[in-house]
Amino acid sequence: MDREELLSVRSLCFADEGGAACRDVSFSLARGENLVVFGPEGAGAEVICPLIAGTVVSFEGEIFFKGRSVESYDYVERHNYRKELGYLQKNYGLINNMSAEENVALPLRYHSRLSSGEIDAHIDRLIGELGLEHCRSLRPVSLTGSETLRTAYCRAIALDPDLLLIEHALEGQCLLNSQQFLKALGRWCRRDDRSVIVVTYEPERFVDFTDRFMMLYEGDIVFSGSRDDFLARRNEYLDQYMRSSLDGPMKVR
Amino acid sequence: MLKIESALRTPVRKITSFLEGMRNFYRFVESIVTSFRSIRYLRFRSIYSIVVNQTRFTGVDALPIIISIALLLGATTIIQATKNFPKFGIEGFIGNLLVIIIAREMGPLATAMIVVSRSGSAIAAEIATQKQNREILSLELMGIDTKLYIVFPRILASILAIFSLIVIFDITAFFGGYLISLSTVYIPAGVFVQTLLDAFSFSDLAITVLKSLIYGILIPLICCYYGFMPESDFQIPIFVSRAVVRTLVILFVINAFISALFYF
Repeated sequence: MDREELLSVRSLCFADEGGAACRDVSFSLARGENLVVFGPEGAGAEVICPLIAGTVVSFEGEIFFKGRSVESYDYVERHNYRKELGYLQKNYGLINNMSAEENVALPLRYHSRLSSGEIDAHIDRLIGELGLEHCRSLRPVSLTGSETLRTAYCRAIALDPDLLLIEHALEGQCLLNSQQFLKALGRWCRRDDRSVIVVTYEPERFVDFTDRFMMLYEGDIVFSGSRDDFLARRNEYLDQYMRSSLDGPMKVR
Repeated sequence: MLKIESALRTPVRKITSFLEGMRNFYRFVESIVTSFRSIRYLRFRSIYSIVVNQTRFTGVDALPIIISIALLLGATTIIQATKNFPKFGIEGFIGNLLVIIIAREMGPLATAMIVVSRSGSAIAAEIATQKQNREILSLELMGIDTKLYIVFPRILASILAIFSLIVIFDITAFFGGYLISLSTVYIPAGVFVQTLLDAFSFSDLAITVLKSLIYGILIPLICCYYGFMPESDFQIPIFVSRAVVRTLVILFVINAFISALFYF
């Protein structure tokens, strides 16, 4: 059965001041599908999530969400669109003058029509699932790296978004402590009504629950394929990246 | 010719930069007005804690300094008036002087100055830090209208706090100042209250409300504007300092303008 197309990116061209760029990038994502985007530094993967979320507005190409161009949204629609996205930022972006619990509650209190009691119950469930009961009243400054990651993840999924964008979430995280987050993400990815795009330098860590992989190099897509294609490593760019080797078609700057 | 050019360059640059600043501030205000389009989506519960915390910080926490300054200012004014007015045979106008100096001018202005130095600087520094920590970006990514969520509750809290502080300042300056001045001069309490009541008019009350409304909007607005400006960490103190200094200058100008408008 054909699944509804949730996101469609067509001929996307963009270059930011930091040198990250993408050239003529096109891909689509069906509802329930998960995609990992990766590539070396400056390959262009880092601009994918901001472009989809609409924090960058001057680009060439088109982005369609549920069949509608993201650029066509007016002021209010853009805010409502972001409500349908969960966004786990690179530095997590927790609000420092709020506790972990308040951070998770923020999008719910702002957007949802749930009563305060229902919001509290929902937060209790999320916090319980991610093992954050012991730090619900702590401010971000008192949280460990993995607690910060899990709190930010809780906040990103609090509104049950159609599309979850995860940006370099595991960088600098302890391999063992981040397993709790990966377990929860795995559960989320197995849902057939929700989609995830993960941007990372470590695609192999998401291999258990990802449908498709896409690799960028100097703004171009150099590999795109299924989990089996990714594991087979028949692409020379992919092979070089996974071997972390300086020998190959990619030149490290 | 070159000398004239170089002599003109600095003032021209300053004027251009001033006009550019005005244009940017106008755009900022415009973006806040635009953000009111999404006010129907705003749930008050999400800004409730910001309003409460800001009101507490701007209003309640400022009480000790407001009371101290009001007492000192009230006492000084009363002592000076009671000592010097008899020399000119106008001792019956002490109430008028208090209303003119304290209720009309110094009360609102001193209160606004204290609020700018305490809360205005805090607002600018807080927003600038949040911006550098990408907290503002994360709010936007959650679909939260940052202008509405950050600026609007601060304006609400500021209006509430400034009005209350002005009233407290005036009352403290009148009666606290009277009590302190008793140590140097004696004025019967009944006479003091009566001259004060005779001097007060409805327009004094209306102007106090107007000033608290204007200051309550302008202080957080200008300080938020400068809070959103820094592009890197090292710019934060520069823009916090600008927020305080420029807000103070604008307050003095507005105060003079309102006085000229209503009392000339």
